[in-house]
Amino acid sequence: MEGNKHPETTPDTEETYLLEAVQLTKRFPMVLANDKVDFKIRRGEIHCLLGENGAGKTTLAECLYGFYKPEEGDIRFNGRCVTLSSPNDAIHLGIGMVHQHFVLVEPLSVIENIVMGTDHKGVLLDFSATEKKLQSLCELYDVNIDLNAKIWQLSVGEQQWVEILKALYTGVKLLILDEPTAVLTPPEADRLFAVLQRMKSEGLAIIFITHRLKEVMQVSDRVTVLQKGRKVATVNTKDVTTEELAYMMVGRKVVFRINKDEVTRGDPVLQLNDLMAKSDMGLEALHEINLTLHNSEILSIAGVAGNGQKELFEVIVGVRKATAGKVIIDGKDFTNHSPRSIANEGISHIPDDRIGAGLISDFSVEENLFLGLEDNPPYRKGLFLDKKYIQKYAGDCISKFDIMTPSVNQRTSYLSGGNLQKVILARELRQSLKVLIANQPSRGLDVGVIEYVHKQILEMRRNGVGILLISEDLDEIFTLSDRIAVMFKGRILKIFNAQEAELESIGLLMAGITDKESQ
Amino acid sequence: MKPFEKIKFEKREDVNPLGRTLAIVVALIAAMLVSAILINLANASPVEAFINLFKGAFGNKRAALETLNKATPLILTGLATVIAFRGKIWSIGQEGQFFLGAIGGYWAYRIFEGLPAATLVPIIIFGAFLTGAFGGMLAGLLKAYFNVDVIISTVMGNYIIDYFLSFMLSGSGPWREPGSYYQQTAPIAENAFFPVLFANARLHLGFLIAIACSMIVYLILNHTPFGYQLRAFGSNPRAAKFKGININKIIIVTMFISGGLAGLAGTGELFGVQYRLRPDLSPGYGYTGIIVAMLAGLNPIGVIPAAILFGALINGSAQMRIATGIPTALTSAIQAIVLLSLLSAQVLTRFRVRRAEHAE
Repeated sequence: MEGNKHPETTPDTEETYLLEAVQLTKRFPMVLANDKVDFKIRRGEIHCLLGENGAGKTTLAECLYGFYKPEEGDIRFNGRCVTLSSPNDAIHLGIGMVHQHFVLVEPLSVIENIVMGTDHKGVLLDFSATEKKLQSLCELYDVNIDLNAKIWQLSVGEQQWVEILKALYTGVKLLILDEPTAVLTPPEADRLFAVLQRMKSEGLAIIFITHRLKEVMQVSDRVTVLQKGRKVATVNTKDVTTEELAYMMVGRKVVFRINKDEVTRGDPVLQLNDLMAKSDMGLEALHEINLTLHNSEILSIAGVAGNGQKELFEVIVGVRKATAGKVIIDGKDFTNHSPRSIANEGISHIPDDRIGAGLISDFSVEENLFLGLEDNPPYRKGLFLDKKYIQKYAGDCISKFDIMTPSVNQRTSYLSGGNLQKVILARELRQSLKVLIANQPSRGLDVGVIEYVHKQILEMRRNGVGILLISEDLDEIFTLSDRIAVMFKGRILKIFNAQEAELESIGLLMAGITDKESQ
Repeated sequence: MKPFEKIKFEKREDVNPLGRTLAIVVALIAAMLVSAILINLANASPVEAFINLFKGAFGNKRAALETLNKATPLILTGLATVIAFRGKIWSIGQEGQFFLGAIGGYWAYRIFEGLPAATLVPIIIFGAFLTGAFGGMLAGLLKAYFNVDVIISTVMGNYIIDYFLSFMLSGSGPWREPGSYYQQTAPIAENAFFPVLFANARLHLGFLIAIACSMIVYLILNHTPFGYQLRAFGSNPRAAKFKGININKIIIVTMFISGGLAGLAGTGELFGVQYRLRPDLSPGYGYTGIIVAMLAGLNPIGVIPAAILFGALINGSAQMRIATGIPTALTSAIQAIVLLSLLSAQVLTRFRVRRAEHAE
């Protein structure tokens, strides 16, 4: 038990790191998750852990947090060797971690959640003292949150603040954040970055796990790049470019500016006329949406999540009823038709929730590749599925879309996120396509796969397909779009031509600020 | 340190068939050991009891055929469960649909009584399938159009059918055998009997129907667009909806087939074994079918051995009871023990036990 609960006695010599991991190795039954990784972090530093999905970032962090015990290697905290048998040991040392999935009790308030998660002395819980301490923490770091609100009343972004406060409340010196921006809207992420800078200036060390290069450049002082469980390098952020980081992360050159051919747009293929729909709660979610999508055109819907994009997607695809207005495909009225008849008309979709709405994870890769096509020849022959044809077709899909799977019979749930998306692409980007509705097609994917997805979308555009792209990622929107429609509270506020669009004006519109109000 | 802290269960990715078989053998041995304690408490010799159980089930050709005869309705009610549960449609209506099938078969028999066996028997089978299917479909319609929970509608349906049959067989009921003291119909005429497959045994046509049905259900589930859609719906209804699978149709058709299969079980018992419609035509074949289906891992082919195992337990326990004098209640207890061990084994094969990492 050496090292636990030792007070800080070592003086800060010039190059003492707050935490050092030396030659850390962690094995799982099938994989080597961390292979002799060296990692060092200073006080008052924001240090990014960068890598693709499955590179071992989270595993490394969980080792530092005492959740996993590495097979080999040492962890030094304040220059002393420590053994972390459980997260409790880490918390006693002053290491806190915010996971991707929060551990909060929904019916309880913020304060109650924080008191519950920490050690307390005595029989009674002292809420007022906690509240005072929390308030001073909020003031110190400029966090704005209602401490008496119940967790279920808070947005996901606010819940993350609760998790961060919980860690700060225990007096952390090192805070680990695992992909914190994955659940945040762009403005929320900016707010988080500002607070992280405050924490840094107070002397906290922060490990920031991400696979987004832009965030690394924006927030970190140094960055450690992992690839397939090995450390590639640790560099000062200001000494590298995004391209160099991408190269380290993926192991090959990644094209950021995809060549977008000049394609003249064709005839209107999808028209939405005064479309209205309600949300699951029965509130108005879409208000008189008017959009026209042409062949060979990419029309983007920009907006912060929850402004009606989900409902728009679902109404076009046919799984949500329109309460008024029309959906017209190729001149024919398809309002409130069944999803199957809309799909048969040549409308494909990529759902934002790949596992929940796009795939059957219990099915094999092969079975997922013809989901939705099972009734149509040549997949069906008479009463039965044509297994021979399907097998050949699935094999073709796998090689054409470069899906990494041991076989067509592999259970889909074992595939990585990028490969799941490729299964969906392989299925949806078929020959007779007229319109592709892509909802967050690159969310949560690695740069390499994002590049691939974008190339596929542009290829479709070249082939004459009209693409409606719903995205929260403005970079993606600016890379791909011909026109950009900004959506706010169920309305389309404005439609820009991509060449004339400016990031600032779109950002303001996304927050609902129209020209009139701002002047 | 507590010893149990060091043992961890990890989910296994795939279970190989050998491991599966081994698990079943181990489970059966465990069940025998536990049962032995009970038999011992009843002052009988466990070894003798098991020998008699086995002899009663498979001791000679006749016993073995009778075991298959007992398995016949269980195969069908098991299949009825498999097809519904594969779509996560939790139908508990097999017992009621079993009786509906018997009622429908009997009804068809009364209408077409005079026909020769070669036409009468197919008509009875068809009528039984349709009535059972109709009962299942009602639950399906209620689910599809009014979102009535299938568990509730089918369990309630079981009561309705039960009381309907009681009425038909009551003192003033139209089907009561005139002058009979018992709630039962008059015996069925011989031209409606399901033909027996072997001389001197009760095993009848229903067994062949059951085997054929399990092949058909296998084909439906694995080789037709409908079965594919049903499985897709069962695994992820949201994705199924997004990909345009007609969910209402799936629920209604599935419940139609499920009810029909259970109905065939009922008519087989009536025209192949009992030859009279009585309220005790089923000692719970519908519910046991659910157990059989679970044991088979919802595999339509696996239902056959699972049903035979149960048929053997039912059939063999009679001789065990007679030979050793253990009470009747104990035989049901032994059946339950076998079931629990097999189900636990099935769950446990999905995990591997690992020693947890050594914590200092």
